[in-house]
Amino acid sequence: MIELNGLTKTFANGRGIFDLSFRIPEGEVFGYLGPNGAGKSTTIRHLMGFLKPEKGSAAVCGHDCWRQAPLVHQRVGYLPGELAFPEGITGRAFLRLMAGMRGTRDEKRRDALLERFQLNPDIPIRKMSKGTKQKLAMVAAFMHDPAVYILDEPTSGLDPVMQKVFVDLILEEKNRGKTVLMSSHSFREIEKTCDRIAIIKQGRLIAIEDIHTLQRKQRKIFEVTFGDEEAAKRAAANESFDPTRRGRTVDFVVQGDYNAFLDAIRRESVVNVSVHEQDLEDIFMDYYAGEGDGR
Amino acid sequence: MNAALFATNLKTNMKNFFSYGIGSVLYLAMIIWIFPSVSNTDMEKLIRQMPKNLIEAFNFTSGISSADHFVANEFYGLLYLLIMAIFAITTAVKLIAHHVDRGSMAFILAAPQSRVKVALTQAATLVFGLLLIAAIMTVGGWLVALAILGGDGIPFAPFFRLNAIGFLLFYAIAGYAFFFSCLFNDEKRALSAASLLTLVFYVLDLVGRLSDRLDWCRHLSVFAAYRPQDLLDGTAHVAVTAIGLFAAGTALYLIGIALFSKRDLPL
Repeated sequence: MIELNGLTKTFANGRGIFDLSFRIPEGEVFGYLGPNGAGKSTTIRHLMGFLKPEKGSAAVCGHDCWRQAPLVHQRVGYLPGELAFPEGITGRAFLRLMAGMRGTRDEKRRDALLERFQLNPDIPIRKMSKGTKQKLAMVAAFMHDPAVYILDEPTSGLDPVMQKVFVDLILEEKNRGKTVLMSSHSFREIEKTCDRIAIIKQGRLIAIEDIHTLQRKQRKIFEVTFGDEEAAKRAAANESFDPTRRGRTVDFVVQGDYNAFLDAIRRESVVNVSVHEQDLEDIFMDYYAGEGDGR
Repeated sequence: MNAALFATNLKTNMKNFFSYGIGSVLYLAMIIWIFPSVSNTDMEKLIRQMPKNLIEAFNFTSGISSADHFVANEFYGLLYLLIMAIFAITTAVKLIAHHVDRGSMAFILAAPQSRVKVALTQAATLVFGLLLIAAIMTVGGWLVALAILGGDGIPFAPFFRLNAIGFLLFYAIAGYAFFFSCLFNDEKRALSAASLLTLVFYVLDLVGRLSDRLDWCRHLSVFAAYRPQDLLDGTAHVAVTAIGLFAAGTALYLIGIALFSKRDLPL
């Protein structure tokens, strides 16, 4: 459904995206992960036909994103990374404008989405909070029931409750066979929904992995507090999880091996467990370390 | 053209269109209102004593003996140009460059409408605004003159001719402002390019009027096509001027639209 072929764009400052190629089949939720400034938005701008490729091409549903942008837009629901709405109108007027420009007649889906996000569209957009604007943009991206979603940082600005609403919505759309590409700088935000993840850094693709493979590669620090110091010492004696002990508390580093880890601590009395996840940068490092040469 | 976008544009701009239209009529009313107090007085003698160049530069060539000439010189020669230039430039920049600079163009272009259609709709909004203001000024101005001066007020046909060419002048000026609006990512840059060019045109026109030796300067300026007094007197080449301004303006809109549809947008 989405296809990049050697997509390249160099900006005046030397940054950009370089020789990006991947395919996203129909029905897949694809996470596009990278630190800020890595080229995520630049890729998405090519998919939306805002930028002309310097080399290579991007296509959605078989239509070239630059030359046949209107055909692409017909099938796509787009959520911009930076939300700037036309000024001086209410949320409802904005949704009416978007529906009018798309020729969408059906208002049922729009109303259902408004209900779901608990969004009151009848206030001027400039009076809306950041989270509310995010919801409004989300409704605009979803209301015409497109086949493909292109979402630039969809979960930033949403509170935890709304993040859950969003995750449910994405999973629902996935079950209806929709294709999704969403970018993020945080692995946690997209791991619940994505099937595959591409990691981009400094404009280059450094990995495309199945989510489960990535999750196995991701190391987690389990901070376990035991009933007494003796129990902690016994648990820390097992060297296989790189333990660090501070009194009754031991940090274990676990990578994929959850059963073995649980076996290792099961015999002691555990008072508390908290988990720290690695951040993106560490996943990169692991990726390089694990694969020898990631490129 | 896209109806939904045009309707939204009108909704957010209508107030602006009417303020400029009605504001201009009020200015015009003020000028007409002070006319009796300056006509056939010492003021006229004073003006006659000014150097010929200055008289020309400040549009006093035909004196201030009749109301329509006074209006042509004092309002259509200066204030009108200022008001309409501000309107044409700010509106043209608002309709494209502002959306691109802020990023709101991303939503508009995410719809399955070609960039050409979107830009055409924005241009149509601009021209509609100019037309509406011209209509308000023609009808409103004539009625105001009738009310204040009594009698026949000012003759309608020449006044209509003046406003029609005024509209076409700003059709062309808005044309290059729109072109800059399509060209630049930065709203301020589009605004300053259009304002600077307008200022240069105005200064060329002024310098050309001040000195006979620099008369050629006038022909480099778009304002050469616009001589309020000649338009009232019917001595201007109205048809040629009208066609020229319309052609130049249309070409500028089309080039701007073509440019906008081909270039990278930082959305």
